[in-house]
Amino acid sequence: MTPLAGGDDAMTFRLVTRLFLRRLIDNDLISPHADRHQSLAVLFGFIDSLAVFVTFFLSTPYLSAFIQLPGPAALSALSDRFLFTAGSITISALGALMVWDALALEARDAAILGPLPIAARTITHAKLTAAIVFGGVLTVALNAVPSVLYPAFLTVNIRGIAGATILRLIAVHATTVTMAGLFGFFGILAIRGMLRLLLGDQAFRRASNGVQSVLVVSMVTALLLAPTVRARDVRHWVGDAVVPPWPVGPVVWYLGVNETLAGHLVAETPIVLPPRMPSIASLQRENQAARAAYCQLLPPFAAQARRAWVWLPLVTVLALTTFLWTNRRLPDRSTGVPAPSRLRTIVRRMAERYTHNDPEAEAGFFFALQTLTRSAPHRTILAIAVAAGLTHALMVLAQKDGHSLQIQTIPVGVFGIAIMVLLVLVVGIAYAVAVPAELAANWTIEMAWLGDERRYLTGVKRAAMLLVAVLLVLLLPLHVALLGIVVAIVHSLLSLLLAVAALDALFLPYRKLPFACSYVPLENPKIVWPAGFVSLLLVTYGFATVERSALHTATRTIALGVVLGAFVFLVKAIDRVRRRERRLIRFDDRPARATQQLGLFEHLAMHD
Amino acid sequence: MQARLEARRLTKYYAAIPAIRDVSFTLAPGNILGLLGPNGSGKSTTISLLTGLREPSVGQILFNGHNITDHLVDYKARVGYVPEDAHLYTFLSGREQLDLVGRLRRLPSGLRTRKIATLLDLFGLTGAADQPISGYSKGMRQKILLVSALLHDPDLLILDEPESGLDLSASLMLRHLIPMLAARGKVIVYSSHILDYVERLCADVVVLHRGRIVAAAPVTHLRAMMQRESSLEDIVAQLVTTIDPEGTARDIAEVVGQRG
Repeated sequence: MTPLAGGDDAMTFRLVTRLFLRRLIDNDLISPHADRHQSLAVLFGFIDSLAVFVTFFLSTPYLSAFIQLPGPAALSALSDRFLFTAGSITISALGALMVWDALALEARDAAILGPLPIAARTITHAKLTAAIVFGGVLTVALNAVPSVLYPAFLTVNIRGIAGATILRLIAVHATTVTMAGLFGFFGILAIRGMLRLLLGDQAFRRASNGVQSVLVVSMVTALLLAPTVRARDVRHWVGDAVVPPWPVGPVVWYLGVNETLAGHLVAETPIVLPPRMPSIASLQRENQAARAAYCQLLPPFAAQARRAWVWLPLVTVLALTTFLWTNRRLPDRSTGVPAPSRLRTIVRRMAERYTHNDPEAEAGFFFALQTLTRSAPHRTILAIAVAAGLTHALMVLAQKDGHSLQIQTIPVGVFGIAIMVLLVLVVGIAYAVAVPAELAANWTIEMAWLGDERRYLTGVKRAAMLLVAVLLVLLLPLHVALLGIVVAIVHSLLSLLLAVAALDALFLPYRKLPFACSYVPLENPKIVWPAGFVSLLLVTYGFATVERSALHTATRTIALGVVLGAFVFLVKAIDRVRRRERRLIRFDDRPARATQQLGLFEHLAMHD
Repeated sequence: MQARLEARRLTKYYAAIPAIRDVSFTLAPGNILGLLGPNGSGKSTTISLLTGLREPSVGQILFNGHNITDHLVDYKARVGYVPEDAHLYTFLSGREQLDLVGRLRRLPSGLRTRKIATLLDLFGLTGAADQPISGYSKGMRQKILLVSALLHDPDLLILDEPESGLDLSASLMLRHLIPMLAARGKVIVYSSHILDYVERLCADVVVLHRGRIVAAAPVTHLRAMMQRESSLEDIVAQLVTTIDPEGTARDIAEVVGQRG
């Protein structure tokens, strides 16, 4: 075969890179069935509008101040910059996690590009370049607008600050959050590469899904916890020589870079009062004290910044070398298929015994478990739900003082930990069932469907309860430590009963087939999501209060259990009545029409 | 013999554009119907209507004398379908995909397990049965589709390019299997571009062109109509081909040979 000339090589590299990049966006980030331009517009619109909203929200005190003192502004900006940096790291890392499987050469690459006369090295380099471009664009899209707006808003009411200083603040902010974002992205790439290198291909394939889910949970939890960090916490971590919790470390490093390069520009700006305003000594004193406090932090910030300068190249080199090494050859199709694990076989046998003579319930049970644990979008939904629960748990634990097993002295929030985790998981599952497992394969279920949705749904709910039970078991040691063994077990049982009730209640109006119908987005998310969030808090803390009160005596505890049981029984009875009549399922529902449309095709659509 | 499947004046519009018009045919138990036509002739639309996955804009499909839209679930329970594109749940293994279908079709556990294991073995898939479908070749996916369509012993088999991607031995096996299933009273609709297959398997053919039936008759009648001993390929070519195949082939060869 004639080898390609040098110029052709460069062109091939560009073409293959473009192919990988397009596929990263089309097939891995967005569903292959969605419109790329529309989905990208929505995605970047969402990211940017969220970034702008957060920037405005954080800047409100600076925008509304009549006179902004530079010293206090430099101090209070620490928590804002902490949030921007943490957001950049976690969201970039989440971006990498969303395309986790595509961050290496896959069997489909071998199938499509293998037969073509392209060197394996060109394919590997193109894949790496596509991944880097993807990570870079994501980081820039995320940080571009806040990098300009935030420094401008921070200094808008600091009189006398020079335009060049503001530009420098913008440049430094942009640099540090971009560095942080790249650290997050390359960090995930490095973790993936290291794991693959250490475990080997076969073991990595087995562990890959689990690792991805754990990382998504960690990143979402970190992202949700970031807004709770106050400027005082940052000062404490940096200035008091207290070792910050290890997940906070990288954020503080990049914060250190920002403060070292530009922090003094704000802090050292002299106070310029408006004309005709007399100098107020108290303002001067306040500014002086804040400036002194801030300047004390600069040496420790410099130490943190040095870590950032070391770790970013280190992680980048690690990511690139492990990628190049583990992807030096095109993957073999036959090695991409791990055999079923022993655990899976045991679960299958137990479930078959449990649902014997009810094949549709079995179908629902197994398909739900398989989809929820193996399909990437469904795993992500569950991971986000678990992360939300975990965030709440960490916040409660951070506020808990002392250690007492007396029920009346235990904060309500402690009882709310399991309730919140289980409820968000149940809500996550109820949301996940509306997302098709694989849209193009829906015909399989549509053809084989015999019309009894109740049995199939029973199986799906059992699978959901299995996941709930697993989570409760994982939480049990924590509850034993917080509540004592007896109360912990009773609390877990009552939480389980509440989760059953919530699951049945959420599925009551559901008249479709889980994972097998087209996805129809919520018509009014602006109302439903906030209302859902408030309801979640009310149910969690309402039930936690009732439960804490009930756990004082055995009689009350039993009464609560009976009431919950009766509620579950009632919901199940209503569900049975509602589903008695078999109905045809609409597998291919379409979203509601937009409120404004040109209607150019209405005269044609009537014939469809 | 009483008709088991009857298509009556089927018409389907997509945004006012007719994909098929007035398609009618009747099939008795044991019949194998070949559905032929070039790309865009309406074969896939006709098949999607026959499976019940889409509703006709006009016309009706009767199965054992009953309109299928009135008993859609019962009808689907008796249909086995192999689609043209092998879209399966790629995160499931072959066995899990078949288990899902078998369970949804309410096959008893013992029978389902036994049938799946035996069919996987007969189709040469036992070794890959527990591996994810994402790693399967086109032929392996096609075999899963075939097993999936046969698992519940359907009365009506709708096969859209079933031989696509199959290796030689599986393809030969399929050629023997279809007449055997027909001999057991099943109705089979067989759509394919490989006219040699259709000629060997199907007594009757329906030829579609631009959404309309241009011929519907036994292969022997078609030959008589054309007043010569021609193959089915020649007959279909005369009915639906709008280009000069030889001339076009010559042009393509010319373009392929262009350099510089």
